[in-house]
Amino acid sequence: MIPVVQRVRRNTELGLIVLGAVVTAGLYTLASLGTTANLPVDIGPFLGVVLALLAGAHVATRRLAPASDGVLLPLAGLLNGLGYVWIARLDPDLAALQAVWTAVGITAYVVTLVLVPKARDLDRYRYTFMLIGIALLLLPLVPGIGKTVNGARIWLQLGPLSFQPGEFAKIVLAVFFASYLVEKRELLGMAGHRVGPVMLPELRHFGPVLLAWGASLLVMVLERDLGSSLLFFALFLVMLWVATERLSYLLVGGLLFAGGAVAAASAFGHVRQRVDIWLDPWAAATDQGFQLVQATFALAWGGIAGTGPGLGNPDRIPLVETDFIFAAIGEELGLLGSAGVLVTFLLMVGTGLRIALAAHTPFNKLLAAGLTAILGIQAFIIIGGVIRVVPLTGITLPFVSYGGSSLVANYVLLALLIRISADNAESELQAP
Amino acid sequence: MNRQIRRLGIGLLVLYAALFVQLNVIQVLRADTYNDHPENSRAVIRDFSRPRGQILAADGTVLARSVPVDSPFKLQREYPEGELFAHVTGYFSLNAGTDGVERTYNDALAGHTGERIEDIGEILLGEPRTADVSLTIPADVQRVARDALGATRGSVVAVDPRDGSVLALWSFPSYDPNVLSSVDIDAAQEARERLLADEANPLLARSYRETYFPGSTFKVVTAAAGLASGSVTTTSPVYPTSDAYVPPLTSQPIRNFGGATCGGAFPDILRVSCNTAFAQMGVDIGAETLVTKAEEFGFNDVPPLDLPAAAASPIGDVASFQQNTPVLAMTAIGQNAVRSTPLQMALVAAGVANGGDVMVPHVMREVRDNEGRVIDSWEPASWTSAVRPDVAATLTDAMRRVVEQGTATRLAVPGVPTAGKTGTAQLGNGLSHAWIVGFAPADAPRVAVAVIVEAQPGASEQTGGQVAAPIAQTVLSAALAANPE
Repeated sequence: MIPVVQRVRRNTELGLIVLGAVVTAGLYTLASLGTTANLPVDIGPFLGVVLALLAGAHVATRRLAPASDGVLLPLAGLLNGLGYVWIARLDPDLAALQAVWTAVGITAYVVTLVLVPKARDLDRYRYTFMLIGIALLLLPLVPGIGKTVNGARIWLQLGPLSFQPGEFAKIVLAVFFASYLVEKRELLGMAGHRVGPVMLPELRHFGPVLLAWGASLLVMVLERDLGSSLLFFALFLVMLWVATERLSYLLVGGLLFAGGAVAAASAFGHVRQRVDIWLDPWAAATDQGFQLVQATFALAWGGIAGTGPGLGNPDRIPLVETDFIFAAIGEELGLLGSAGVLVTFLLMVGTGLRIALAAHTPFNKLLAAGLTAILGIQAFIIIGGVIRVVPLTGITLPFVSYGGSSLVANYVLLALLIRISADNAESELQAP
Repeated sequence: MNRQIRRLGIGLLVLYAALFVQLNVIQVLRADTYNDHPENSRAVIRDFSRPRGQILAADGTVLARSVPVDSPFKLQREYPEGELFAHVTGYFSLNAGTDGVERTYNDALAGHTGERIEDIGEILLGEPRTADVSLTIPADVQRVARDALGATRGSVVAVDPRDGSVLALWSFPSYDPNVLSSVDIDAAQEARERLLADEANPLLARSYRETYFPGSTFKVVTAAAGLASGSVTTTSPVYPTSDAYVPPLTSQPIRNFGGATCGGAFPDILRVSCNTAFAQMGVDIGAETLVTKAEEFGFNDVPPLDLPAAAASPIGDVASFQQNTPVLAMTAIGQNAVRSTPLQMALVAAGVANGGDVMVPHVMREVRDNEGRVIDSWEPASWTSAVRPDVAATLTDAMRRVVEQGTATRLAVPGVPTAGKTGTAQLGNGLSHAWIVGFAPADAPRVAVAVIVEAQPGASEQTGGQVAAPIAQTVLSAALAANPE
């Protein structure tokens, strides 16, 4: 039974990867034609590398997690390829780097699969992960190695290497939360007293919530990283809610965060400014609101079908290769392309949650849900920021944006989801 | 936990649905609003990268065309005649926008005319639907106008009085539209700033955007007002022969140039351009008659020229002359409260030449699509009705005498009866603008002309006749040759 499932899943994966590769190569060719009006002689040496790497990831998955889900890797590969095409179209120098980061990312994917043969192995190192997570979160604040870029102190500079530890902290903390909450879920879930229709746990159980809230506020204030702050706190609340099945945590936590955000907006200029340009970027169309206004112009110019790859003017948007890459894709592929990106993320979220539902242990279930939530919420925060559904907070679009830390971290996240799905299939073999 | 995981899925689905709704708002519902936003340069960039039709002179000379360049914009506008037609074609600039024909006929040139689309293939192939705009101005007439004026600030305007076709529209100094339209934005910006900083203001199309005191050429309008009102005829009144006229309410006399003495009936006072007589005529007929007639010639109104930002030629309103006869007297001889563009004075001459009807001035002759089919051609139309035909005939006779025996003898085109009127508008600093208006042939006019040469030394009535008349004569001859019956 299992060998059949394995073969079907792996062949599906290979087929989907080939399909994604064809789409990516086609877009790459069009974008090259669009920007230079002829095919570059060295058509896609780096594109070839990126596609070969995905094939390598597929082969590794065949060996290391043969029964795992066959959809996640092709979806991630499609997003990675899509992002690569637009990075190459916007800045060829960054594209070469992104190809290198893809290699590192896929290596990290394979290494994670090797190092974690069973997801439950992670459960053992709970407090190690906690310490690593906190360390990664706070490292940028250490004088000498921390670095401020674009106003946010979220970078580590070690010699020639710089990276954003926060991208890894989110995964490490998800593992810790899963491990911790599975153990404490009965305790934290105990009914305290009822307020209206909401069952409130005992007050002292809100301790961890307050702790996480404080940590997220710290990140927001000290590192000026609104996006990560929001992401960490949302991750914690969602996992707490899923673990304890108590909606009250979500509600109280949401109120706490809202209160913290309002307080921050009135206390800190840079937060208030974000809110102001979110409400009305047109009033400051040439300075603070410039980026959002230009992104809106780009998306509007794309219309339904887009200008065609390489034929738009997304280079007018500051930071278009990272935070605003969604607007570039939306301009040149139109609503069809931008909605396509949304659907791809929804498919990943759906697949991730399906893996969580199928998981046989609470730890696996909670970890899969947490990792999926990271992916879904992070994409929502940055896309929503670009199109003004929520205030703009600088954060990368997973797999798509330029950025080494983000790409590598997301491939690790992907490997963990793949590992959990492989565990599911193997348990099914032993269980019946 | 499974229930929560499903709800988490539903929650994320709702969030993504919100993103999808907002994407539809931006990319579909409100897209047009954003595309037209003034801060959005994408439409300009699009037009820059697209094929664009040519602008051609009346004889087919290429005045503007798009040539391929190695830049993101793919195409660049080229003006082979350089500064010669700059004030007509205008420019097509990324940073300065557009001007001239490039602006007025942008839709035709860019192919936005919404002309019939014959098959779906054209849409799919994206075949450019640009059109070429042919102008009424022959390149050689424009060249003659430029060479005749030379390196002196001034303007030359020639029109066909019968249909309003502009035959020459030159003013010095001009500029090279090529640099302004460069795809090298920095170079274009630098060129623009240099032109804006230039004291001589080469960007200014003096011919239709600058106003001057018209001086004695305005006496044609004053005479038209007098003749049309019936209070002036070829025999009466006989204005006193004098060297000075003192208007009511002042002791400041108006004098003739060089202290000359003149007077007599209408044709004679026009022939010698008698200031004292015309000042008195203006006061006698009154402000209302004079201003109304000037407005019937087009003053106080923007000429409907098919070029952007033509200037109106202002004359004070009737009320401003009440209890102010000295100003009225000065205005009647083209000073003080009246200013005119060279174009407007050419239209005054054209109106007299065309039996009293001023035609709508225009530079567009026809628009052809890229297969050579005419998709638009100019329909001549009357702009204003200035005088009755009999008044126009009387004025024409008098203006012929100005050329035959008066101040404008140098305007005479050999073998062609010519009508004209000189002007010398004093600037009060020893300098004056030398003017002339005229048309030919006087018995069946095909060309009307106005020339101003700015800030000439001296202030004699001869200035217009000596400086401006020969230029106008050269242009009249060239335009008559290029514009046969």
